[in-house]
Amino acid sequence: MQGQQLSPVSRDRLICQMPKCYTAESCLQYKTHFDAQVKSACQQRHAGNFGLKMSKVVMVGDLYVGKTSLINRFCKNAFDRDYKATIGVDFEIERFEILGIPYNLQIWDTAGQEKFKCIASAYYRGAQVIITAFDLSDIQTLEHTKHWLQDALKENEPDTCSVFLVGTKKDTLSEAECERTERDALKFAVEMKAEYWSVSAKTGENVKDFFFRVASLAFEQSMKKELEKNGHSATQIGAGNLIQLEGNPSETKENDVQHNMNCC
Amino acid sequence: MEIEQEDLSPETAFEKDPFGITVEDVYDMSHVIGKDLMKISKETRGATEHVADLQFKIVRVLEILETLVNQSSLSAEEVKMERDNLKAEVERLTKESPSADQTDLGPDKMVIDLRDPNRPRFTLQELREVLQERNKLKVQLLVAQDELQCYKSGIIPPTEDHIVTLENESIITTSPRPNGGSKEKSTIGRLFSPFKQEKQEQ
Ligand SMILES: Nc1nc2c(ncn2[C@@H]2O[C@H](COP(=O)(O)OP(=O)(O)OP(=O)(O)O)[C@@H](O)[C@H]2O)c(=O)[nH]1
Ligand SMILES: [Mg+2]
Repeated sequence: MQGQQLSPVSRDRLICQMPKCYTAESCLQYKTHFDAQVKSACQQRHAGNFGLKMSKVVMVGDLYVGKTSLINRFCKNAFDRDYKATIGVDFEIERFEILGIPYNLQIWDTAGQEKFKCIASAYYRGAQVIITAFDLSDIQTLEHTKHWLQDALKENEPDTCSVFLVGTKKDTLSEAECERTERDALKFAVEMKAEYWSVSAKTGENVKDFFFRVASLAFEQSMKKELEKNGHSATQIGAGNLIQLEGNPSETKENDVQHNMNCC
Repeated sequence: MEIEQEDLSPETAFEKDPFGITVEDVYDMSHVIGKDLMKISKETRGATEHVADLQFKIVRVLEILETLVNQSSLSAEEVKMERDNLKAEVERLTKESPSADQTDLGPDKMVIDLRDPNRPRFTLQELREVLQERNKLKVQLLVAQDELQCYKSGIIPPTEDHIVTLENESIITTSPRPNGGSKEKSTIGRLFSPFKQEKQEQ
């Protein structure tokens, strides 16, 4: 595919191993390694054979919980003490290289303010990952995460989204307070079928680990989907397909062009 | 310039799409409602207290509407400024880059002073459109930055295909589906239904 990333991916965005989850209780699948099939598929093929992969991540949650701050800490390594409400939506594109394959996350930052809901919700569709954020020091915002998730799921096909629940502003709580809120949050996470994380955009605690986990799980998921799609029979995943792909790059190129014409 | 007939009657403000309402429309509504209230208070001498009470509430609702419409218009202006900054940035970068002919952006930069009472006003629908435009520009900027990075580090220059693909891939998700806004309507419907009932009972 011709959409290959141009300049090299920054060195601190290389992922070679499945990043750890926050705690053993906080994750849905206690994954410590990449799926073996995905791994070998990545090893056998040069990065170019897969083309540019991009997954859409949508961040939702009440106003002021710190969605924008979390994204800015990760993408720009910056933190702003002053609140500037997000108007409608915004997005960042973050580039990774996972198991040698270039991979982009399109991170959509939506406004929590009610008056922008009709605008922001139009961007929910096609999300592979939904991150529902709440403020660890404001229990009400945790209660609202269920509604935010419902709204975001409504716009997507069933079982196509993975969900994360993130407690923000960890720095504003004592260890004990944080643990107490986390216990509540974990109950929500189970109900929402979400993996749970506590983070602080201010100090940066867990921010990189969290997004690396998001990127890796999303990457694995879309690679699996692609492998299933390409190889209805198991043999095609292996060397046979490799030769076919490498020997016929122009064919994949044409397919991709077609896909890209379908936009609105 | 021809002035459309509908602009002359303030009544038409009530028929507009909620996302197309400007603060001027709110003033038109106030005007119409005010006239109606005057009529009612003349006809119902005995019940003037109730009418005054109602009038107070209606004025409050109109004030709220005014604030909301004004706010979303301000937000749109902010995004518009951001979009214009992005435009300038894309322009600057594409000039710097050897393949300067790929983005064709007119120099239609516009400076808006938020304190200017005569500044252009925006509706929610316009905010939506400006946001989409901003998103596209941001993608263009990212591509241009990346391209520049390539030239600087001596990597083979990308072909035009790169740009088109990357852009389109993003546009698929940067353009939201057209939103019917049906939910908002039903909420307003619910708000007004008890009022309607009362009217019928009388
Ligand atoms: N102490 C502390 N403050 C934070 C943290 N994250 C965000 N804040 C502050 O919380 C406020 C709100 O942050 P934003 O990131 O703008 O919130 P948001 O969720 O994007 O809000 P909307 O865009 O309106 O939906 C800002 O004043 C931030 O500085 C954090 O980790 N620690
Ligand atoms: Mg925000």
